[in-house]
Amino acid sequence: MKKEIWFGLSIMAAVVLAAILLLPPFAEMTNGHLGLFMLALVVVAIMLGFPTAFTLMGMGMVFAYIAYRSQNPSLAVDQTLDLMVQRAYSVMSNDVLISIPLFVFMGYLIERANLIEKLFKSMHLATARVPGSLAVATIITCAIFATATGIVGAVVTLMGLLALPAMLRAGYSVQLSAGAITAGGCLGILIPPSVMLIVYGATAGVSVVKLYAGAFFPGIMLATLYVVYVVIVAKWKPHLAPPMSAEDRRVPLPAFAQVVSTTVSDKVLPGLVGALKGKRNASVPMRELLNHMVIALLPLVSVALIMGAIFLKVTAPLPVEEVSGVVAMGGSLENSSEAESAGGLAEPEDEGGLKPPPAEEAPVAMGQAAEAPPAAEPVPAPAPVAAVPAAPAEPVVAQERLPAPASFWVALASAAVALAIFYAYFSFARLEIFKMLLGSFFPLALMILAVLGSIVFGLATPTEAAAMGSMGGLLLAAAYRRLNMAVLRESVYLTAKTSAMVCWLFVGSSIFSAAFALLGGQELINQWVLGMNLTPVEFMILAQVVIFLLGWPLEWTEIIVIFMPIFIPLLPHFGIDPLFFGLLVALNLQTAFLSPPVAMAAFYLKGVSPPQVTLNQIFAGMLPFMAIQVFAIFLLYQFPAIGLWLPETLYK
Amino acid sequence: MQKLLLTIDKISTFAGQFFSWLIVALTFMITWEVFSRYVLDNPHAWAFDVMSMMYGSLFMMAGAYTLSKNGHVRGDVLYGFFPPRLQAGLDLALYILFFVPGVFALAYAGYGYAADSWAINEHSNITANGPPVYPFKTIIPIAGAILFLQGLVEIVRCIICLQSGQWPSRGQDVEEVDVEKLKEMVNVKDEDIAKLDTLVTAKGVAK
Repeated sequence: MKKEIWFGLSIMAAVVLAAILLLPPFAEMTNGHLGLFMLALVVVAIMLGFPTAFTLMGMGMVFAYIAYRSQNPSLAVDQTLDLMVQRAYSVMSNDVLISIPLFVFMGYLIERANLIEKLFKSMHLATARVPGSLAVATIITCAIFATATGIVGAVVTLMGLLALPAMLRAGYSVQLSAGAITAGGCLGILIPPSVMLIVYGATAGVSVVKLYAGAFFPGIMLATLYVVYVVIVAKWKPHLAPPMSAEDRRVPLPAFAQVVSTTVSDKVLPGLVGALKGKRNASVPMRELLNHMVIALLPLVSVALIMGAIFLKVTAPLPVEEVSGVVAMGGSLENSSEAESAGGLAEPEDEGGLKPPPAEEAPVAMGQAAEAPPAAEPVPAPAPVAAVPAAPAEPVVAQERLPAPASFWVALASAAVALAIFYAYFSFARLEIFKMLLGSFFPLALMILAVLGSIVFGLATPTEAAAMGSMGGLLLAAAYRRLNMAVLRESVYLTAKTSAMVCWLFVGSSIFSAAFALLGGQELINQWVLGMNLTPVEFMILAQVVIFLLGWPLEWTEIIVIFMPIFIPLLPHFGIDPLFFGLLVALNLQTAFLSPPVAMAAFYLKGVSPPQVTLNQIFAGMLPFMAIQVFAIFLLYQFPAIGLWLPETLYK
Repeated sequence: MQKLLLTIDKISTFAGQFFSWLIVALTFMITWEVFSRYVLDNPHAWAFDVMSMMYGSLFMMAGAYTLSKNGHVRGDVLYGFFPPRLQAGLDLALYILFFVPGVFALAYAGYGYAADSWAINEHSNITANGPPVYPFKTIIPIAGAILFLQGLVEIVRCIICLQSGQWPSRGQDVEEVDVEKLKEMVNVKDEDIAKLDTLVTAKGVAK
């Protein structure tokens, strides 16, 4: 207890001391110095623990009044009041911030759909062969779930309840387990659609669309780095993350699958075909076989449809040839896929009550089968035989007709090869895992990608996409039979509180930063920083170090809304792209969640971990992940293309 | 007195919760608007204004509700470690120093702002023939006034805490991270967690 108080007091003392040392004596103080003094004061005031929004509002009002009074005392009160109300109104009618409540709402709904348990289990089985598989599954689950919900506290708590016991039981070290959970849980604030990027976009005046496009790959990169780290640790020091025993890896097969895999074939396709065609076992119902056939063929169908769509798009300028080309290409593929998707439509009816996954999958299948005649007779028998050889054959047919770019054929060929390999290894055990993934991973991933894709490709504004995402969240919760009045009410109230928290902070900070600008504090800082004659690199490092240090005592919302307005005007002097700066800041603020002693994530995890797990162990576990974050910032700085490639290709 | 405080608490909670349902309306409205624009080819000019009005009213009116549930973000590096009396003393001072003048000024200024808007019968100028703006601007003084009242309640809470040495309880409300609920959701019981302890300690010994 004592330690933290001293830590905080020393920071406060340092701020006050720095302010006193840097500012001239009172008599020589100009308004600009007053602005700097206000900035120092606000840091201290925030640390005293008063709700930040009102600290900013009150202080902004007082200093705005001082600034106005020095210009014209008689008008000062009116001007201050006008400033306040106009700032408040501009936040109320801000067209960027409007997506915050919508994304928050989506997050709460998804969180309450209770997908995480399934997601973790299926990820865990799917990654069973990777070293440190539990930790890898934890990070991936966290990344996906945190991205969809964006609620760090809930994700860390849930994973602490699910993954921590699993990892401890498997003999993982406490540190590694804690680190994987906390670091993974925080990914949600970086990987879009994240609220943090909206807040940054609104503060810095950078397009949220570009920020989303830019943050996508750095987010994935960070998650990948975590996974790589865990895998290396598990390989290098197996006692920290022992491999799973064969016992744990075994997937229980349903009765029919056991029969088929012993009598016909262990692999799904030959097994199912064999069972359907000839020696039909009396014990296995036809319906079940067909249903599984449909599921087994989903990857093939989706690849075929995606490649078909790309093909249509690529060859669009030649309408006459296009038609014949598509028919030729579709050929055997389309026949089988139509039949399968038609089957997919019928499927949920008989087992919807038992298994939500097909019900969730149905809309997808429906979308894909839009052109398929609903009455199509299922003829699955020839499908597997025709499908795989069909892929290599297509180029020959189509090449005579259409000048599709070579890259398309390369992509098609590699997709075909990947599919062939996939089906070669597709055993019944893997089919079970695939079915679990269908119920947990794919709906979430699809939703995130749909929301993100429509924003990034310009099909919808972030607001529209966020609303569609909330709608998707409602549907998802309904599909998993978790949508009832209580859940809806909770989500609605929580959304209101979270949005009010963020947006009132914005009201406060915009009054505050207006006062800061009025006093001329900004100019003073500009002069001061420019007077230091920094190179852009030095400035960049300085800025990131300052933000990193601020991440200790403050939360990301406060850092962005209070300090970004100070940094952003400096960027043009150094020729730094605010978009790029935003990505670095977003990566940097990840560390704010993991840096002791105020790392929120650690406290959430501690709240649900067994009493013997100490906070120090959790902190120790987070340190390597913090190092990875710093490394990721370095990587992004060295190779800006990681972040900037996507926005530049899309919007220039 | 006590009763009055609880009543104010209830008013701000009710107002906040009532307006928070706007999020559902907002979701449906935007979804419908997107559908209407892309599928029915029938965009509505007023949609943009209505969207931002819904959002603005939602968060403004929820401000007091959030305050009554202690939901506004605080810097709790230190605060969390302070004894309750010190917390209350600091809060009291800062409520009087920052909150009361700031929110009062906002509500007062908002009153004039909205009155002007009513006087000129102001309509949105983002699109031609936009919807009226004055009801939306009226939200500022209303939200400000409720927030101000709620602030007074909080001040009294601080005083009670200063006297008794512990924080008076707040009304029950849904929490973002409700550990018990989450435990129930994923079927984890306290005994299970306690059992893990043996694993942790056993490992510590083995090392």
